[in-house]
Amino acid sequence: MPMPIVNVTGLWKNFGEVSAVEDLSFVVEQGQVCGLLGPNGAGKSTTLRVLMGLERPSRGTAELFGVSVQPGCGELIRVGAMVEQAAFVPHLSGMLNLRLWWEALGGHLRDADLDTALGIADLGDAINRKVRTYSQGMKQRLGFARLLLARPELLVLDEPTNGLDPGEIRDIRELIGRLTREGATVLLSSHHLSEVEQTCSHLVVMNHGKLVSSGTVAQLVGSTGSVYVEVDDRERARTVLSALPSVRNLHLQGDGLVVDLHDGRRSDLSVALMTAGLRLETIAPAQRLEDAFLELLEGPARDLTPSETPVAVDATEAQ
Amino acid sequence: MIPLLRTEMIKAARRTRTYVIALGLIVLPAVIVFALNSRGDHGPGRERGDGLFRLAQQSGLLVPAAVLSIMSGFLLVVIAGMFAGDSVASDAGWGNLRYLLMRPVPRGRLLIAKAIVAGTLIWACTLLVALTALVGGAIVFGTNAVTVPSAIGGGVAGFHLDASVLLLRLALATGYVAFGFTALLALGTFFSTLTDTAAGAIGATIGVYIVSEILDGISQIGRIRYGFPTHYLSAWEPMFTENRLPTDMLVGVAVQIAYLAVFGTAAVIWFRRKDLRS
Repeated sequence: MPMPIVNVTGLWKNFGEVSAVEDLSFVVEQGQVCGLLGPNGAGKSTTLRVLMGLERPSRGTAELFGVSVQPGCGELIRVGAMVEQAAFVPHLSGMLNLRLWWEALGGHLRDADLDTALGIADLGDAINRKVRTYSQGMKQRLGFARLLLARPELLVLDEPTNGLDPGEIRDIRELIGRLTREGATVLLSSHHLSEVEQTCSHLVVMNHGKLVSSGTVAQLVGSTGSVYVEVDDRERARTVLSALPSVRNLHLQGDGLVVDLHDGRRSDLSVALMTAGLRLETIAPAQRLEDAFLELLEGPARDLTPSETPVAVDATEAQ
Repeated sequence: MIPLLRTEMIKAARRTRTYVIALGLIVLPAVIVFALNSRGDHGPGRERGDGLFRLAQQSGLLVPAAVLSIMSGFLLVVIAGMFAGDSVASDAGWGNLRYLLMRPVPRGRLLIAKAIVAGTLIWACTLLVALTALVGGAIVFGTNAVTVPSAIGGGVAGFHLDASVLLLRLALATGYVAFGFTALLALGTFFSTLTDTAAGAIGATIGVYIVSEILDGISQIGRIRYGFPTHYLSAWEPMFTENRLPTDMLVGVAVQIAYLAVFGTAAVIWFRRKDLRS
């Protein structure tokens, strides 16, 4: 098994009496695009801050490339991060901000991947204007330029599309896809579930600082018990499925049936339908990520992946 | 460390505020020179407490001492407090600090670089005041030797200071005044690590100095005053008014170093351990 890029184990972060993160464990492996999902206050940003060495864990460990993260940890140089919104020195130009950030550790900006970065920022002549004159979207794009300067192996992105218009969001989605194809690993938090669904291969769902569920997007969407079924005889299928103890409810939808299950095992349905001599045309999760997400937040914690602790998923599974 | 010092200096120096301060520190000494040259009240009542200003009319080489004595009490304190208190908190307030730390710039090294840059700017401001006053004073009053009458030297007999001695003592005085902001630099840097609001850190730094000055004026407090950061700030003046090198200057340097050691260490420890929430 390859070394995980991100390995969070039993992580706790307390602020006085309040626990922002409680016993959180997950891993992100090479090539995954892992979405960190959760409502406001779920502990996503705190987790990312601990991972980037900005905050110290109260208990547990956060590892990058197999090394426990401490403030100033050397492995951070392999990471391009945008935590909360992109921020810069406002009285300096975009270009000077990039240069000073890069050169703070020595070296020259010409050693960085400047062409790619400027191509992403796409700020034209505005790159030489003071950052205080930028819109939020321009700052966000400059933020992407900055994190790409070092050709990072891991991108850590906290709400990366905040302040961007739909075209810019699409550009960022395509960028993440391109970087992943080139071998980068991505860990991103977002409130935009449709964006996560389109971008991510894997998900870690948090609520109240705790892990709710993790796995591939397909596993999470399919795990919540609603299944869409198409067969050659819909009325007979309705009768057959209604008799199953695992079926909670069913109703007609389009050319098929939507079946709500107690325990989420789709195989029960397919076995019953085929035993009854019905031809199964389609059986698939009936809901989108948004439904699954809301259902997960209301239900008990679930680990969808049959693996060793902490939760790990094969990167190729969802690709 | 050198690249970090360079990048931090560019960030601090390229602020509009820095240009305005530099302009002010050129204009204000020039105005004081102009005021010294104007006809004013030369009656007997004016002789008390303005010894350096009266001497400065004899020679431009004493004008910087006069200007430093008046500006180091408040204006330079405010400016130094601004540079020191702003050092970390402004980056935190902009949200840029977390990106520097994720670069990753080591926290201790970053803090030291910021303190050095703030200290350099404070020294530069003090030097700018002295140089502007020297140039202005030399143009208006010349570079003559000075004869200090006994009335100004208090119980000391009158004495003569030639130009080379004046220049040497002026250099020493400027260095002492600049070094006198070391405690303020350490306090300001420490406060700057405690907050993400630059105005709060600046206000706290200047506030400590104002309180120190006020309490220092209450002799009933006793010896504890000798440990205040402002107590020995004017210890250099007898070089010009009493023709002696005061031992208080050495004590003043020691006090400044003590503040630097205590608050500088506290700042580094705190900054290395703190959770960065901004």
